[in-house]
Amino acid sequence: MTSNKINYPDKEGFFGEFGGKFVPETLMYALEELENTYNGLKDSEEFKKEFYSDLSAFVGRPSPLYFAQRLTEKYQSGNIWLKREDLNHTGAHKINNTVGQILLAKYMGKKRIIAETGAGQHGVATATVAARLGLECHIYMGSEDVRRQSLNVYRIKLLGAQVHAVDSGSATLKDALNEAMRDWVTNIDDTYYIIGSVTGPHPYPMIVRDFNSVVGQEVIKQSDELFNKMPDAIVACVGGGSNAMGIFYPFIDLKETRLIGVEAGGKGVSTGEHAAPLNDGTPGVLHGARSYLMQDEAGQVKDTKSVSAGLDYPGVGPEHSWLKDIGRAEYVAVSDDDALKAFHEVTELEGIMPALETAHAFAYLEPLMKELDSSANVVINVSGRGDKDINTVAEIDGIEF
Amino acid sequence: MNRLTSTLSNLKSNNQKALVAYLVAGDPDMDTTLDLMHLFVESGVDVIEIGVPFTDPIAEGPTIQRAHDRALKNNISLKMILSLVDQFRETNKDTPIVLMGYLNTFISHIDMVQATGKDGIDSILVVDIPGELNLESYGISNPNINTISLISPTTKENRVELIANNSTGFIYYVNLRGVTGSSNLDITEIENNINRIKQYTDLPTLAGFGIKSTEDAKTLAKFSDGIIIGSSIVEMINEASKTKEFDRIGKYLKEMKTAIA
Repeated sequence: MTSNKINYPDKEGFFGEFGGKFVPETLMYALEELENTYNGLKDSEEFKKEFYSDLSAFVGRPSPLYFAQRLTEKYQSGNIWLKREDLNHTGAHKINNTVGQILLAKYMGKKRIIAETGAGQHGVATATVAARLGLECHIYMGSEDVRRQSLNVYRIKLLGAQVHAVDSGSATLKDALNEAMRDWVTNIDDTYYIIGSVTGPHPYPMIVRDFNSVVGQEVIKQSDELFNKMPDAIVACVGGGSNAMGIFYPFIDLKETRLIGVEAGGKGVSTGEHAAPLNDGTPGVLHGARSYLMQDEAGQVKDTKSVSAGLDYPGVGPEHSWLKDIGRAEYVAVSDDDALKAFHEVTELEGIMPALETAHAFAYLEPLMKELDSSANVVINVSGRGDKDINTVAEIDGIEF
Repeated sequence: MNRLTSTLSNLKSNNQKALVAYLVAGDPDMDTTLDLMHLFVESGVDVIEIGVPFTDPIAEGPTIQRAHDRALKNNISLKMILSLVDQFRETNKDTPIVLMGYLNTFISHIDMVQATGKDGIDSILVVDIPGELNLESYGISNPNINTISLISPTTKENRVELIANNSTGFIYYVNLRGVTGSSNLDITEIENNINRIKQYTDLPTLAGFGIKSTEDAKTLAKFSDGIIIGSSIVEMINEASKTKEFDRIGKYLKEMKTAIA
C-alpha cells in the first residue's frame, strides 16, 4: 500500500476504482464550476481564515476529546475516549461541512441552497448556515424520515427553510437525494447543492471529506496532549460516511491506528434487512459515484432497513469502498437491537445521549474491547447527539407522551 | 450499416424529420408494451425508444418516474426487455430500437448486451454518464449497438466537440434545464445550441424533453433532425392502462408526424 493522501482522488475523481462523475450531462458544468472554485480557494489564506474562524466562533470548535470514565470501567480493557462532535452548534458533525460549503456558495454567487437529509441533522445544519447568510433554502427529506424525525423537521422550518417531503421509492434518504438532484438539474444556474455526505459525484466526496477532516486533525493533536501517542483504534458509524471519513482521513498514513467503520446492521446482516453495503453489497453506480451498493442481480437498488434514519442508505462514500478494498479500514455492522441497547447504556453511564447513528459505533465496543489490552486507547467519534431520536426510542420502548 | 444510422440517413436524404417515441418497458405490462411498439410504427414513428426501468431515475420527472415504479412492480429486467425486442423483431426488422436507461442496469448485464445480435436493439443511451464517456468504457463494445450521447443547454463549447466525436447514433439535445416532462421551452436557445452542435458533427441532432404540443414539434423540426416525445405518451399509456384503448396515442403520434413533415 502506497501513500495516498495527496493523490486521492485522481483528476477524474476516482479512489482506485471507486468514485467518478456519473451524472446527466446537464450537471457536468456545475460540477466543473464547483471543482474549479474549490481548487482555487482551498489553499488560499483568506478562505482558510474564514472557514476556521467560523468553525471556532459559530460552531464552537475544537470539540473536546473526553475520557469516558464509566464506559472504560465497564469494559476494563483499555481507555475509551469520546470525540465530542455532539457538542457542536446544531448537535452533530454535519455543521463542519455546511459551514465550508456555504462559503463556496457565497464565493460562487449562488442565491439558492438545496440539500437532502436523512436524520434531519444535515437539513438543520444547512438551514442554519443558509439563515446566517440570508439565502433561500430548500431541504428534501423522505416522507418516512419526516415522520420519524419530526423534531428536526420543525427545527428546519424555524430556520426559515422549506421542507419538501419525498414520497417516491422507499421515501428515505436515497429518494431525497434523487429529488435534490432533480431540483439541481432544473435550477442549475442559481442553485448550490450542499451534499451532506462523502457521497455523490466528484468533487463532493473530496470536498465533504476535507471540510470534515478538521475532526481527525484535532484528534491527532488531542491524543498527543492527552495520552502522548496516537489512538490504537478509531470507531465511527458509517451511513454515507462523512463523520467516519472526517476522522479517518488524517489517520490514513498513521498505520498504528486501526480505523473501524460501523454500518447499520438493521435486523441482522444475514437477514438482508439492513443498510450495510460494505458488509453485504457489491460495487455499483448510484447518485453519481461507483461504490459498494445494496442491489439485486438486475442492478436495481434494494430497500434498506435501519432504526437510524441517518444510516438508512443503500450506498456509501467511494473513499470508504476504496479503504475497505485496500485493507486500510475495517467495516463491521451492528444490529438495531444492539444499537438501541448502547444508546441507553451510554446515556446512563456517561450522561451523554448519543444519536442512534452514533449508538452503532458505541455498540461495537462490546466485541472490540475484548481484543484490546488495558493500555489501549480507543476513540469513538460521537457524531451527534440523540435529542432528535427521542420520539423513535420512546415509540420502541412503548412510551406515549 | 446500423439500422438506426440508415433510418436516420434515409429520412435526411428525403428531407424528412425523425419522430422518436418513448415508452417504459412493462408499463403496464410486457404484452401491452409489445402492442404499443407496433402501434407506434403504424402511427408513423421512425425510432422506438424503450425506457429501462430503474429504482433511482434521477433525470426523470414524476410522470416517467411513476412509470418506472409500475414496471419495477412487474419485476421488469433488462433480460426481459431484450426478449421483448426479439419478439418485436419477429414481425418488424426495420424500426430501430434505442434503450434508454441508467448505467447500473447496463453494467449488471454486460454479457447479455454483448451477446445481442444484428436483429436486436440498435442503440443504447445511458442517461447518467457524462457525454465524453461511451459504452466501451464499461466493457460494452458490440458492433451492432451504437452510443447516443446527450448534450444539454449547459454543455460548454469544448465539451460539445468531445461529445460529438464520441457519439455514433445521433446527438440527443436536451431542450431544457430540468427533468423529463418539464415545460417552458426556450426556442431561441435551443435553435442556437443545435446550430452550434451542427458545426462540430454531421450526426443527426434530435431534440427531446418538454415537447408537448404539435406547435412545439413543428417549431423544433425547423432546425433539428427530429424530435423525441416521452412523458406525454407515458401519461396517455397510463390513462388507458385498464381499458387498453390506445387509439388516442395513435392519433397523437400521427398529428406529431404531420407537424414535423
